[in-house]
Amino acid sequence: MEEKNISRRSFVKGMALGTVAGYFASAGLSSTVFKKALLPKEKLNQVDIGEMKSLKVKVVSETSWYDNNVWLNDVKKSGGLLVNQYEIPWTVEGVKSGYQGSNLGGFSTYIEATLMDDKVIKIHMDTGWNPAWMEKRFREEGVAEKLAKKEIDFMVQTHEHIDHFFGIEATTKFYPDIPIYVPKGFYQEGFDLLKGKSFPKGNVKNDYPHKGKVTVLDSRKVNVLYPGIALMTFDVPIILRVFGEQSFVFNVKDKGLVLVTGCCHQGVISYMEAVRQKVKGGEKIYAVQGGLHISPFEDWDPQYDDLILAFNKYGVQKIGANHCTGYITAEKMIKAGLPMVRGTARHMSKRDIYLGNGDELAIA
Amino acid sequence: MIPQGGDNMNGQFLDTLWLEERKRVNLMKQPVRGILSGVLAFAFFMCLWWIFMDPRGWLRWYTPQYGYMYIRWLLIVAIWQVYIFNFWPFKHEWMERSHPLKKGIILTLINFAVTGLLIWVFYYSIFGSLSIPYFSWPELKKTGLSDFFSREYSSLAILMMAAIASWLSPIWPVAFENYPWHGMKQPAKGMTVFMVTFLLTTYVYFICMHPHYRVLFYPWQEYTAAFPWWYKTFHTLSGNFNVGWIMCGTVAVWLSEMILERYPFRLIKTQPWRGIGGFAFILLLAAILFFLFVFMQDVVWGVSVEGAKRLMAPDWRYLHTGELAILLLGVAMILYFYFDNWPRKYSTEVNILIRVAITIVGAVILHWAYYKASPGLLGTQAGYSHPQQFPMAPVILFINVMLYHNWFMDGWPGKRIEQK
Repeated sequence: MEEKNISRRSFVKGMALGTVAGYFASAGLSSTVFKKALLPKEKLNQVDIGEMKSLKVKVVSETSWYDNNVWLNDVKKSGGLLVNQYEIPWTVEGVKSGYQGSNLGGFSTYIEATLMDDKVIKIHMDTGWNPAWMEKRFREEGVAEKLAKKEIDFMVQTHEHIDHFFGIEATTKFYPDIPIYVPKGFYQEGFDLLKGKSFPKGNVKNDYPHKGKVTVLDSRKVNVLYPGIALMTFDVPIILRVFGEQSFVFNVKDKGLVLVTGCCHQGVISYMEAVRQKVKGGEKIYAVQGGLHISPFEDWDPQYDDLILAFNKYGVQKIGANHCTGYITAEKMIKAGLPMVRGTARHMSKRDIYLGNGDELAIA
Repeated sequence: MIPQGGDNMNGQFLDTLWLEERKRVNLMKQPVRGILSGVLAFAFFMCLWWIFMDPRGWLRWYTPQYGYMYIRWLLIVAIWQVYIFNFWPFKHEWMERSHPLKKGIILTLINFAVTGLLIWVFYYSIFGSLSIPYFSWPELKKTGLSDFFSREYSSLAILMMAAIASWLSPIWPVAFENYPWHGMKQPAKGMTVFMVTFLLTTYVYFICMHPHYRVLFYPWQEYTAAFPWWYKTFHTLSGNFNVGWIMCGTVAVWLSEMILERYPFRLIKTQPWRGIGGFAFILLLAAILFFLFVFMQDVVWGVSVEGAKRLMAPDWRYLHTGELAILLLGVAMILYFYFDNWPRKYSTEVNILIRVAITIVGAVILHWAYYKASPGLLGTQAGYSHPQQFPMAPVILFINVMLYHNWFMDGWPGKRIEQK
């Protein structure tokens, strides 16, 4: 093939033409004119979830493990953050700062939601990890008694992670047929564990098989459970090969929406944006309570600063963070002027910088 | 590498590589040769992935940053071996006479060894130990950070250096044809180009990635690094913004070199103008890819939200532009290496247009196939946006394997060097 002989002038003209054409064909698409024409318009599809009178959210246990380094070494030795959680030999002995030598703790929250007719809905959210620790905390906070008397209306499993789910026998021991809501994305191992299967490699077992109804909720709609009480499911891939998480939305009369989370792997800003788009009154979020999954290992990433810098724009009045929010995050949030609710650092929670074990957030 | 692509440009460039001079004969016909070669490369990639990376496999280095770091450096070392040092210290006669398998094993082992030396000696023991601790896993650990995050943070820094190098190193041989050092002999020429491009890489690193590390540690390291200068315009403090456009730059270089046949900048007759034009073209193509991919994501998922996570996070969107670009490159390389850069029978412009169309369609298919198959095949997690998962890692490893196969092994058993 013969190469064309072109002058420098022609080349420059060609390049200029190509640049302009290329700009309009692609990069120019990001200009305001193209954006207005092509970007999807935001569709608010707000569901009216109703109203309720008041809300009490108690942190039963937010201490998922006691020594970050031990936990991270378990993960590192097994091959990192993408390894299946059921196959990691979690350290259950020899940890000085642990509970009875075990590094395992767990996450669980107890919720009382008073409806407009004064009926109180009692909710058991997540069941923790170490059954011995969780049973102790359930007894200390009166949850065990309520479970045994079947006073609790249902259990919500926010997601399948070790520290929220592997202690299932601490719940089923007291209330084997408790109705459970799980998010879409639960693996077969999760359902098997519920039914009593053990996973020796991951040091997890369930001697008290679950016998009640399990309802799988998906992300297609806002799931209204009672007036003023709804669950939203998010299709998020999460570390340790977990998929999907669900979080609560409560609508407290005269206050606004209260979001209660397990770990909030979907991201708290993403969560608030989803609530704004899908729940009536979503423009006014009064409070956020629970794990915000920002620096659970006291690690950091500039993206987390993006979150803290953006949080103030949402006008949230109370942030009852705990658990996987991380202490570094809490310090930064306080420094950024965010309305963090402080805790009391009891029952093995290490600091009072956010809500700890036994602390309660009441909205009335 | 242009001759394989179509027009025989031999002699027109100031400097040519052995890759451009080698004459190969086809041992099989198309499409059997292309399909078989691609399948072989993929099988070798799967072996490597299983041994080193797969979270269900043997060594499980894809933690993720640790394994990803090695993958990145294997690529840049291969580029140095072939494009900068032109296979030095091996003589070209030896390259021509030796069996492809023997050459492949030796050159790949060298590739692995140099990568290991760079990471364990240069970064961990010298650079990280004596200058900036975040380049060294052991040094970071000494500061009190956990073993796991010490390794992850240092791996990210080291792999970022490789990402920038994989963009800048090939620019000199591709756009400037090693001008003004084209007349020098190896290893002096290689060393000179290596030093110049590595210097540029270091500058770019400190401007584009070092500010990320100001914010990565707590408290912010305000005395040692500048505030991320891109924050106000691009709504994130994360260096992923730079990762995105730099990856688009890397892809732009290799698209230019392969399916675009260095067109149109090769029409400029003299250096350094051809190099400057080439560099400008590559930057322009990178910008087009970057903004186009950002825009496409905005259209599909809605405009990103500052502070959000996952799909809606601005920094992930930028990172994903690089991931989308690398899928394009993967397809372009398959077309170039295994299907003789088809078509070659039309005018240069038409050939290029058809290849670009094939590459775009192929990338769409690869995108769909990757997210569909990777959980079962690679042991990764389902879903698009995962904070600990990088589609660039497996795709770049596959690209590395294609480079080993075609650069080190002449594409054997589909092709072989013509024996005199």
